[in-house]
Amino acid sequence: MRKALTLAALMLAATSHYALAKGKLIAVSWKTFQEERWKTDEAAIKAVVEAAGDKYISTDAQNSAQKQAADIEGLIAQKPDVIIVVPYDSDAILPSIKAINDAGIKAISYDVQFEDPSALYMSFDNVGVGRLMAKTMLEKGVSKGNFAFIKGDKGDPNATFLFSGIQEVLAPSIKSGKIKVVCDTFTDGWKPNNAQKEMEQCLTANNNKVDAVISENDGMASGVVAALTAQGLAGQVPVTGQDGDKAALNRVALGTQLVSIWKDSRILGKAAGEAAVALADGTPMNKLKGVTTFKNGKHHVPMNAILLAPDPITKANLSDVINAKWVTKAEVCAGVPAGSVAACK
Amino acid sequence: MKDSKTTKASEVRGEGMLTRFLRATELDVRVLGMVGALLVIWCGFDIASGLKIPNSGLFGGSFLTPRNIWTLLVQTSSIAVMTTGMVLVIVMRQIDLSVGSMLSMVAVAGAVVQVFELGPWLGVGHPIIWIAAVATCLLLGAAVGAFNGFLTAYLQIPSFIVTLGGLIAYSGVAFLLASGVTIAPMDRTYSIIGGGVPQAWLGPTWSWLLALATCVLIVLGILNSRRQRQKFKFPLRPVWAEVFLAATGSAIVLGLTKVVNSYPWPFMLIKDYAIAHHVTIPAGVSDRNGNAICMAGGQVVRCVDGLIYYTGYAVPVLITVVVGAAMTFVASRTKFGRYVYAIGGNPEAAELAGINTRMVTVKVFALMGFLTGLSSIIASARLDAATNSLGQSNELYVIAAAVIGGTSLAGGVGTVYGAMLGALTMQSIQSGMQLLNLPAAFQNIVVGTVLVLAVFVDQFYRRRVK
Repeated sequence: MRKALTLAALMLAATSHYALAKGKLIAVSWKTFQEERWKTDEAAIKAVVEAAGDKYISTDAQNSAQKQAADIEGLIAQKPDVIIVVPYDSDAILPSIKAINDAGIKAISYDVQFEDPSALYMSFDNVGVGRLMAKTMLEKGVSKGNFAFIKGDKGDPNATFLFSGIQEVLAPSIKSGKIKVVCDTFTDGWKPNNAQKEMEQCLTANNNKVDAVISENDGMASGVVAALTAQGLAGQVPVTGQDGDKAALNRVALGTQLVSIWKDSRILGKAAGEAAVALADGTPMNKLKGVTTFKNGKHHVPMNAILLAPDPITKANLSDVINAKWVTKAEVCAGVPAGSVAACK
Repeated sequence: MKDSKTTKASEVRGEGMLTRFLRATELDVRVLGMVGALLVIWCGFDIASGLKIPNSGLFGGSFLTPRNIWTLLVQTSSIAVMTTGMVLVIVMRQIDLSVGSMLSMVAVAGAVVQVFELGPWLGVGHPIIWIAAVATCLLLGAAVGAFNGFLTAYLQIPSFIVTLGGLIAYSGVAFLLASGVTIAPMDRTYSIIGGGVPQAWLGPTWSWLLALATCVLIVLGILNSRRQRQKFKFPLRPVWAEVFLAATGSAIVLGLTKVVNSYPWPFMLIKDYAIAHHVTIPAGVSDRNGNAICMAGGQVVRCVDGLIYYTGYAVPVLITVVVGAAMTFVASRTKFGRYVYAIGGNPEAAELAGINTRMVTVKVFALMGFLTGLSSIIASARLDAATNSLGQSNELYVIAAAVIGGTSLAGGVGTVYGAMLGALTMQSIQSGMQLLNLPAAFQNIVVGTVLVLAVFVDQFYRRRVK
């Protein structure tokens, strides 16, 4: 009974807030600032929140699950409208998320998923990255022949997520015999030099009859391209990758790598800021722009999710990364013959 | 045989053929065992890979092909160079766990120098760039190694701890030097050291000349050692044993040269080279679909019969062979080498005999660091990129190779060529399994098992001999 009353009171309070379009409080609990990227995310979120006339506060858990729990208690006490959480430990965080829910505050699971049905999950779509790799290969590389799969570390779930996306796209062609898988291997520690050896052995075993290489990231693609170069095949055999590594974008310009799937954390930050502002203004979670249901997490809890599509960077749209100031033109275009790539003019 | 008292005595006892052969040639039975094991591994992988190719015959696999042997030698280079130093470290009863992280750190430093610092300043491709990068790697490696040695020898911190600290710390430095990004591509001249470009291939003529020179050196070496023994009235090997050694050594060198000289350049590179150097492409060059192509009126067209280039030895393999020879000389023919073995045999006795054991320790670690620097050049030039994960867990492979090659962790025992054979054995197993497309986890299991098995066989043999 008391709970119901509190709930009613909270709902009343919440409704009264709707009237105010400005002055909401958006809080973020970061897991760490030790890695450079989170500062990039923060700047993007803060810019959106402040542009909407709302206030931004944040805490840094310094890679500790305990500190993050205390941080969130502190944030709840300041009565924010939305708390964005980058969990250090996606299971240990759940009691804190319950506390957020109980206080009637909206929670956003940012980049790293925690599985709570009332929270919003925002990330890049990892299965989608794999799908994009395969799709770009079919559309802009080759669509039939001998394919080699250079996968990431076996212990990293992302390697498997990626591969399920890759397989989803390629399965029909593999089934019909248009594509023959000649090499399929996991790579210890995602190490480029391991990938190089794997590619060398793959080429030896198949007498160089390899038509396409699906490498799951840019680092390994560097090893693959080194192995292809030694056989004079660099630029002849399309290679995929992801991360938007400077060296990889340079290879895309040089034509030795087909595509690097790029996930710009600034775009993710911007989207999260916009979602937080909208939630604070009372937009129901399932009415947010681009929201879908995601239930492929560890425990298969269905959640509202906004999964951003990463950007496949090929020779044709290299200017995206330059215009976004992700890399400089000089870095991308180093050693590229004049006039061969539009973005390098 | 008259000159040799020991040989005579052994014959009197009526030993078996094999024992007599080993005694006369002074070959280490463990080295022979390893060569035998290597041959079994090679043939095994060839047969196994042949099973996948229909109608290919017993030895129709892809392992025992010039191409794979050539690749195998290049793949072994980086680890083999470091093993030659690790042998001395272990012989001296020390250990260096930091070589993997040190390799990453030094490679990234060399890459920062050539790509970030000198490249933009001097202009890409300036000849000073690769020289400066090579010098940076070698000097930084030697300096860091010497630092390890100093902490061990003068501050009396066990080398296990010093280099364990290094293993953790140097990988951090490697990350910070370039904030974790992959640096690529390397300078064009620098990348020749990695062996992945045609400029890094010696070609048949030079390879044969080098092979002949090596054979002459082998014969001269055996003659010289015989003369020295006569001079100091040491027991001599019987003449047939000397001839056998010279013939076998030369046969191995010539055979290997024959193999690498029959690995043709990849088709595409022949075509690129011919077009770039205005060589008329006769009929017979194939494109990547296996169709023969030739040049007609400035156009590449399909046809039959013609132009082919052979690779011969690759630069990193030559570097490895030279390092191996130099380190064998250092270990067995110099005062410094003798000191290392003396210290490993009995540190107290060596100290009392007046050897400056601390200084020797610093020098051995500095040498290890120098070789790690050299190895980092080979590794980053081969990958044509430097990352902070480049040398990760290399220390384990280097130590394992030395141990498989007969180096005793108790100190005092170990040979450079044994350790290099150990490195080749391990790389053979890994490459072979990759050729069979076996999963990486399975490869780790096999390599680990081989390491333990090799030491067990070694111990078993020693106990039997006693």
